[in-house]
Amino acid sequence: MRVEYINPFVESAFNVMKEVLLADVKRGELYLKSTSMPVMGVAAIVGLAGDVEGRVLFDMDRPTALKIASAMNGEEITTMDDLAKATITELANMITAQAVTKLHELGFRFDLTPPAIFTGDNMEVSNQDVEALIVPMETPQGKVEINVAIRERA
Amino acid sequence: MSVQAAERREADARPDDKKERAEKVDFKMVTFSLAGKEYGIDIMNVKEIASAGRFTYVPNAAPFVRGVYNLRGDIISIIDLRTMFHLPAGRKDDDALESLLILRVGDHVFGVIVDNIDKVVGVSSAGIQPPHPIFGDINVKYIKGIIENLGKLYIILNVEKLFAPKSDEEPSAQAAPAAMMAAPTPAARDAFPGAAPVDTGDVNADFIRETLFAFKRFGVSAVNEGWFKARYAEWCSSRAAADVQLKEQTEADQFLEPFYSPCTGELWSEAYAEAMMAALPRINSNSINVWNPGCGKGYETYSMAVMLRRAYPEARIKIWANDSDLLAISMAPNMVFTPEDVPEMYREMMVKGRNGYTFNQPIKDSIFFEFHDVMNSNPVPPVDIVLSRDTVSFLSSADQNKLLADFSEKAKQGGAVILGSSERMPSDGWNRANVEVVSVYVKGA
Repeated sequence: MRVEYINPFVESAFNVMKEVLLADVKRGELYLKSTSMPVMGVAAIVGLAGDVEGRVLFDMDRPTALKIASAMNGEEITTMDDLAKATITELANMITAQAVTKLHELGFRFDLTPPAIFTGDNMEVSNQDVEALIVPMETPQGKVEINVAIRERA
Repeated sequence: MSVQAAERREADARPDDKKERAEKVDFKMVTFSLAGKEYGIDIMNVKEIASAGRFTYVPNAAPFVRGVYNLRGDIISIIDLRTMFHLPAGRKDDDALESLLILRVGDHVFGVIVDNIDKVVGVSSAGIQPPHPIFGDINVKYIKGIIENLGKLYIILNVEKLFAPKSDEEPSAQAAPAAMMAAPTPAARDAFPGAAPVDTGDVNADFIRETLFAFKRFGVSAVNEGWFKARYAEWCSSRAAADVQLKEQTEADQFLEPFYSPCTGELWSEAYAEAMMAALPRINSNSINVWNPGCGKGYETYSMAVMLRRAYPEARIKIWANDSDLLAISMAPNMVFTPEDVPEMYREMMVKGRNGYTFNQPIKDSIFFEFHDVMNSNPVPPVDIVLSRDTVSFLSSADQNKLLADFSEKAKQGGAVILGSSERMPSDGWNRANVEVVSVYVKGA
């Protein structure tokens, strides 16, 4: 993944989460991964197209998702209902959109696909050929892993 | 294979029967040509031959997939073998018909495009010779064997391997280079005539190998064996016998000090760039692709970009530079220099920025710096030059073999691999350019 892409994603994840959760957010150590990986329970995915092809996946467990949805809506949400799902989807959209805006300013042209959300137990993403950058974020609501895989269109 | 070997032995033992055996036809193949060379495919895999054109283009497919074709109601994919093996292919009109072999592999049916289909040749399977690593333009793992018939040599392709799903292919791809790298070549030993013969059973030497890997992740292997032996002999003679082992990181650093190539961690000097240019084969294409795994902070990447730009002012240069050290690679795109520290040749391609001098936009645009681990799949296109100085050695030996196999796969025919000055290419099929300060290897016989 191109070095220029890393910072916009890390920064916008940090800024957006800090803003919507109104809390202290910590960023973990970045690393690369290409093996298939388990999904913690709730995964929102946004596709990227344009000069590049790729996707951004936001991965968290169910309690974290519910707490984040509660914090963002300002009300207690206890089941993974439509509102909770829409909220997590919106978070994914906000972070990716802000990153793409920053990249646009740097001269890279990306387009987004509408976000989609997956929930369930024992899910796994298998995409052996794609190397993903993992940006772990620690929030008071729990851990969110942002998994960015982008490659240049050949 | 063992049956064939036994048959061959038998034939040798009884010379009277030999002729009769050689004439026994038990293997038929369809022969064809690619870039002027003769190839064969087992007739059992060939469903039919055809000529067709106007294939339906499939977006986002691999470059060697020409499209799909409707063969009497069955939709089959059409693969261009010449593109697949990076062989030159004459450009035909869109309407022109291509020669097609329709192959059946397992449950799949494919069409492959070749230059010319010749005929069906019957031979004796006992006469098939195993492929030699330096033979032909095609990766040896795709070759089943070589056979002579009526004065012509045919390369028999292994269709199952060629079109196997990727997961099936992986183990064999790794096994082949591993076997080739089992022992350092005589050339690698000869390159270090000063090396005292060191017994490999030497406990100290084995221990140093282990500690080098533990401290520095430096894997002693066929790539650097010659250097290691020479350095070990030197190390032993400069130290007391009790003090030979590496006890801490600093000693490991000291041991490896002479390992690094000239101009590591700085822009290449003009003399070094000149030596490098002289060792590299001339590139006749106006598009030059370079892969630079382990580029670190990017000094060698910029040096390479400037060197190529000076040598090929008109060419379209693309360098894929990657490193798994996030800190080092993050600095690379925006590296700043002071003009006094920079050799003359670089200055004309620099511009003044806010904090100092940086390389100009055309140079920057020719480089992709990527945060990437070479052990994951490498999405680089076929390249003319692989620039990998002192990178391979810092991997475990299994990983080294995998990366070297990737180098042979990604380098175009006649392309070059640049290793560190203390490193040697262990496998066959590479010719070392005869220059002392740089380790350049050219692919092909």
